[in-house]
Amino acid sequence: MRVVLKDLVKRFANSDRAAVNNINLLIEEGELAVLLGPSGCGKTTTLRMIAGLEQPDSGRIAIAERDITNLAPKDRGVAMVFQNFSMYPTMNVYDNIAFPLHAVKMKRGEIDRTVREMARLVNIDHLLGRSVRQVSGGEAQRVALARAMVRRPQVFLMDEPLSNLDAKLRVQLRTEIKRLHQDTGATFIFVTHDQEEAMTLGDKIIVMNNGDIQQAGTPHEVFFAPRNAFVANFVGTPSMNMLTGAVSQDESGGIRLQLPGFDLSLPERFSRGLENMTGNRVIWGIRPEAIKLAAEPGENCAPGEVELVEALGSRDLIFVRVAEQLFGVIVDALESVAVGDNCHLHFAAAQMHLFDAESERSLLNNLPSAVPPSQWGGG
Amino acid sequence: MRVPRSERILAYVILIVMAILVLVPVLAGSVTAFKPQIIWVSSPPTWIFEPTLENFEFVFFTRKGWLFLRNSLIISIGSVVIALILGVPAAYAFARFRFRSSKALMQWLISLRMIPPIVVGLPFYAMFLYLERGLGVGLRDTFPGLIITYQTFLLPLVIWMMRGYFAELPAAMEESAMVEGYTRLGALWRVVLPVVWPGIVATAILNFIFAWNEFFLALILAGNRTSTLPMSAGTYIVRTRVEWGNLFSVNLIIMVPVIVLTIILRRQLVKGLTFGILE
Ligand SMILES: Nc1ncnc2c1ncn2[C@@H]1O[C@H](COP(=O)(O)OP(=O)(O)OP(=O)(O)O)[C@@H](O)[C@H]1O
Ligand SMILES: [Mg+2]
Repeated sequence: MRVVLKDLVKRFANSDRAAVNNINLLIEEGELAVLLGPSGCGKTTTLRMIAGLEQPDSGRIAIAERDITNLAPKDRGVAMVFQNFSMYPTMNVYDNIAFPLHAVKMKRGEIDRTVREMARLVNIDHLLGRSVRQVSGGEAQRVALARAMVRRPQVFLMDEPLSNLDAKLRVQLRTEIKRLHQDTGATFIFVTHDQEEAMTLGDKIIVMNNGDIQQAGTPHEVFFAPRNAFVANFVGTPSMNMLTGAVSQDESGGIRLQLPGFDLSLPERFSRGLENMTGNRVIWGIRPEAIKLAAEPGENCAPGEVELVEALGSRDLIFVRVAEQLFGVIVDALESVAVGDNCHLHFAAAQMHLFDAESERSLLNNLPSAVPPSQWGGG
Repeated sequence: MRVPRSERILAYVILIVMAILVLVPVLAGSVTAFKPQIIWVSSPPTWIFEPTLENFEFVFFTRKGWLFLRNSLIISIGSVVIALILGVPAAYAFARFRFRSSKALMQWLISLRMIPPIVVGLPFYAMFLYLERGLGVGLRDTFPGLIITYQTFLLPLVIWMMRGYFAELPAAMEESAMVEGYTRLGALWRVVLPVVWPGIVATAILNFIFAWNEFFLALILAGNRTSTLPMSAGTYIVRTRVEWGNLFSVNLIIMVPVIVLTIILRRQLVKGLTFGILE
C-alpha cells in the first residue's frame, strides 16, 4: 500500500523546536523505504505517527488512499517492530506469535497453521515452546518479525530492529528482512541511523535531519547526487572531504575554485550554475574514493603528506595533509603507503560536489526532485 | 558493592542491638500470652511453667475476639481491594502519561503519607458527623466509612509502589499490542498486568499489613460494630491494671499474620520501601 505523509508536524511539550517539521513524503506500494538520519532527527517520531502511537499536531497521513490520521493504531493495518522490545515476557514464542491473531478472533486451527508458517519463515520453528529467557537477542528479534507478519499487514514499520544485535547477526537478519520484503511484497518503512544498513536495504532512502527531510531518493541518488552538504556528509563511510573555497574565473572564461592551499578548475557541468558566482563562497566536496595518489603534480592536483594510515582490509584509509586540511583517501592496500610519504592528490573532476556556502544546497542542477505535491491522495 | 570490613561489623552491631531492643519485649510478651493468670506478673518472672491456651480462649470467645478479627479482616481486605482498584490504574497513568500538574499531584500524594493520622481522623470525624446529621448518610462506625478513610494512607502507597513497577516496563510493550489489534485497555489487561502481577501481590500484602496494624483512625471512627483487633487490644489496659496475658494473646493474634506475610514477601518489601530512595 502506498503511504503518503502530507505537511506532517509534531512538536513535543517542553521543546521549542519541532521533532518533525512539516514533512512531505510518498512511499510507493511494495517499496522498502529507509528513514536515515542522526540521533534525534525525528525518525522514530515519524514512524510512530504512521503507526498511530503519536498524534501529529498538523498534517495528514494516508495509507492506500485512505486518510488514517485519526484512526487508532489497531485499525491502521500496519505492523511494527520496535528497537527495545521484542517479546511479551509472560508468553512463550508460540503465544507471542499467536497474540495478534487472538485480537481478530481467528479459529484455533487456523491460528496454529499461521503461527507455524510464520515461525518457519524466520527460522524459529524449533523454538516455539521456548520462553523469553530461553531465546537469544537475535531469536527474540525474529519472534518480533514473525509476530509483525502474522496478520499479513500491508505496511511494515521497523524502528531500528537490528541495532541491539552484534554486527554479524545484524548483517544476517538484514538479508532476511530484505527477503521477507521480496516474499511479502508489502510496503516496508525501516528506520536506522546506520547508513550502510540503509544503503544495503533500501529501495528508497529518506535522509532526515532536525525534523526535516533532506533528500529522498534511491541509494544511488543520495550517494552520488546529494542535494545538500548534510546529505553529502552523512551518507557514505568514510565521509566526504569538504572544504570551503571561493569561485573565480580565469582569462579563458573557465571556472576555477580557490581553496586553502591549492586551486582547481571545475568541470563543465558546474559552469552553468557558477557563471555569475565569481567571488562567492562555496563548499567543495569529494569522496575518499574519488581521490587518487599521483607521483607527479598536474591539473587538479595538490601536494600533501601522509599523516595516518588505517587498514580497512583490502584497502587502506589514509589521511593526507594538504595545507591546513586533512583529506581522507581510500587506496589499495597493496600500494604500501607509509606515514610521512610525500604525494600528490589527484581529484577526479567528474566526482566533485559543490554546495552553496550559505544555503548548503547543491550547485548541480540535474537533481531528482522531492515528492511532487500532486501525488497526495492519489490525485 | 564491596563494603569495608569495619563498616560491615558496625552495621551488624547496630542491627543486633536493634534486634535485641525489638525482640526481647516481643518474646517476653509472647511467652506471657501462654502463662496462666496467677503468674502473669510474678516477680521475678517465671520462665518455667506449663503453657496454657486459656488466655486465648478468654479473649477469643468470652471477649468476642473472633468478632474483632472478622472486623479487622473485612476492613483490611476491603480497603486494600478498593485501594488497588483505584490505585493501579492511577499508577499506570502516572507512569505513562504526562498530564497537567501530574508531577505536583504525585508529590502531593507522597506528602499524604507523612501526615499524622490525627490530622486526617478528626476532619473525617467531623465530616461523617455532618453527613449523618445533614444528609442522613451514616458512615461513622461502618465498614464503608473506615474503608474510605483508610484510602488516605493506602492509596498513596499503592500508587507510589505500582508506579515504580509500571515505569520499569518499556512503553513499547503496550504499544506493540496496540498496533497488533488491541485497545490500550486490552493491552494493559493482556500484556502489562500479567507482567506486573507479582508487584500487585507485593503491593497488596504491604498495604494489608498497614491496614491491619492501623489503630488511630479506627479509634476515632470505628465503634461497637466495627471495632478492630488493635482496638480490642486497648481494652485490656484499664485504669487500674493491665491484663497482661490477655493483652499479649491479642497481640500475638495481630502479629502472626504480619510476620508470616513479611517473611513471604521480604525481598519485594525492601524494594517497595526503598522506591523513594532509589529513584
Ligand atoms: N515523548 C517525547 N517527549 C519529548 N520530546 C521527545 C519525545 N520523543 C522524542 N522527542 C524529541 O523529539 C526529537 C526527535 O526524536 P526521535 O525519537 O524521533 O529521534 P530519532 O531520529 O528516532 O533518534 P534516534 O536515532 O536517537 O532514535 C528529539 O529531539 C527528541 O528529544
Ligand atoms: Mg529513534
